[in-house]
Amino acid sequence: MGLKKHADASALHPVATRDYARDLPGLVAQMGDVEAAVRRWAVRDLGAYPAAVTALGARLAVETDSSVRSALFSTLSRLGGDDAVTAMLPLLRSEDPELRNGAIEVLSGLPEAVAPHIEALLCDRDSDVRIFTVNLLGDLRHLCVVAWLERVLMQDAAVNVVGAALEVLAEVGTAGSLTALRAVARRFPDDAFIAFAVDLAVERIGTP
Amino acid sequence: MYRILVVDDAATVRMYHRKLLSDAGWHTDEALNGVEALERVHAQEGDEAFDLYVVDVNMPRMDGYSFVRELRRLGPRHQAPVVMVSTEAQRQDVDAALDAGANTYLVKPAQPLDLVLSAALLLGDRDAALVAAQGART
Amino acid sequence: MKTINLAAQPSLLVVPPVITDADFRKFAEFFYRKTGIHFDESKRYFVDKRLVERIENTGADTFRAWFVALRFETDGAELQQLVNIMTVNETYFFREAYQFDCMVNNMLDEVAVRKRPGSRIRIWSIPSSTGEEPYSIAIYLLERWAKIDQYDVEILSSDIDTSVLKAAQRGIYSQRSVGNLPPQYLKKYFKPHGDNEWRISRDLVDSVEFSRVNLSEPTDTRRFRDIDVIFCRNLLIYFDDLSRRVAAEAMFDSMSPGGFICLGHSESMSRMSSLYTVRRFPDAMVYQKPLEA
Repeated sequence: MGLKKHADASALHPVATRDYARDLPGLVAQMGDVEAAVRRWAVRDLGAYPAAVTALGARLAVETDSSVRSALFSTLSRLGGDDAVTAMLPLLRSEDPELRNGAIEVLSGLPEAVAPHIEALLCDRDSDVRIFTVNLLGDLRHLCVVAWLERVLMQDAAVNVVGAALEVLAEVGTAGSLTALRAVARRFPDDAFIAFAVDLAVERIGTP
Repeated sequence: MYRILVVDDAATVRMYHRKLLSDAGWHTDEALNGVEALERVHAQEGDEAFDLYVVDVNMPRMDGYSFVRELRRLGPRHQAPVVMVSTEAQRQDVDAALDAGANTYLVKPAQPLDLVLSAALLLGDRDAALVAAQGART
Repeated sequence: MKTINLAAQPSLLVVPPVITDADFRKFAEFFYRKTGIHFDESKRYFVDKRLVERIENTGADTFRAWFVALRFETDGAELQQLVNIMTVNETYFFREAYQFDCMVNNMLDEVAVRKRPGSRIRIWSIPSSTGEEPYSIAIYLLERWAKIDQYDVEILSSDIDTSVLKAAQRGIYSQRSVGNLPPQYLKKYFKPHGDNEWRISRDLVDSVEFSRVNLSEPTDTRRFRDIDVIFCRNLLIYFDDLSRRVAAEAMFDSMSPGGFICLGHSESMSRMSSLYTVRRFPDAMVYQKPLEA
């Protein structure tokens, strides 16, 4: 007993015989395995195949295990591209917070691919979708972020969408944002939180 | 001195709620999602447990409902009242909050009076409740 | 009137950037959101000095210009530099020893209860850097775990940097590095080396398995299985958001159900992954892979 060395850091139980081919179709099939760990490895290995994005997105629609979902989102983030964005957009409407938040995280890491969709999302009829879009702008590295947020301040009718935008603008707002901030204060004159958030954003933007 | 944990992924909202609550005379701490909130809870020693939680629903990593369910599962010392705060106002949202173990529910953006009065009443802090209620009448 | 030739007085042209209260709060909120580390007013001097250093190093004129670049940079390089400069990065024996206490007082006992007879307990130190951490674990196991004679324990020790792995295998340490060790352990496991250094016993070096591993590379991590305790301290805080997730997921995969992971004292899974459960023990707060996973 005591400290022991093992010559190779391999699993201590026999490695399961492989049922699946290690190519794209084989890995996609493996994504349907009954064992979550096996599905996770398939998802991770599919990170080597850009063409797998559609299959990964389709798996998300039916996968219920959190650890596999997590691997799906990470792999889609790594693959990136327009197809990954296309797979994520419908999830912004999901009732499942794990799927919504996973999609927001993936999208916020794909600035060039998601940018063409932002304006339409910010005009969505569903105020929740608009809030989630503002949330993703919070981490998005794109130079239009400030302009998009200012438009929300000028035009969005929903107080919680505006509140979310004020949150992000406190960090990224510029002197040019002050006009939009004054407009918000006028549009929601009786809301204590909006007043607080506007003052905070003005303070954080500082005097240039 | 009553201790309140404010849980919300938006820094501005945390700041706003904390200001309202500390102006009412209570100590506050914060977390930005359910995981961090559980860490704050676990970090409390014995009699320093939180007396009240103000918890946002929509947060990444672990949402408000999950946090409250986990909190209640921690045992007898973790049954302090929870004010759930949400942008939603549907029946299913109220149901979800109460089923998870929350005590009351506010719709965002929370009005100062609603937040402070709810907190005061749940804490059993009659002085603070009176101040809040009287402040509303002026 | 005396005229000043500014060209001959370059120091007059350079005004160090000013960090206003609003700047400080903006930085503090951003940093807290990204890392979980909270700086309040009492840390003003510490923070301002380092912000000025980053601003000047990047050639920005003002805090604002530097912050915009930080917020919108695509490669995360400046954020990594910033985290580096705002955190203390030393390694030494028995650093954050409360986690080793937790290991021998609680975690290993829970792990042992679940072990099939004859199977080993596996502990993974990553990054192991120059070896202080895995050797600290070894000493703790030999000296402070009551059940060490009843179980076989493997210590796996990995780092992305082969030069530190080599240093770990050489096993020579400075006075500073061993300063936290109880004198009886220093005497028992080290011999003086040269004027002011110490060489760790070959037995300990031989009891640890070293390997080069990049946590972001699935091909590196897939061969680690059935790990019962992971020490991953003060590494993930330097990663970008995606790399952190990927690393947290890779470690999750490597662990036995019910396995434990310890992060650095200012790190938190709340910014990385929701797969783990928070566990509070008397000595430390750690994370656990669910038993049903």
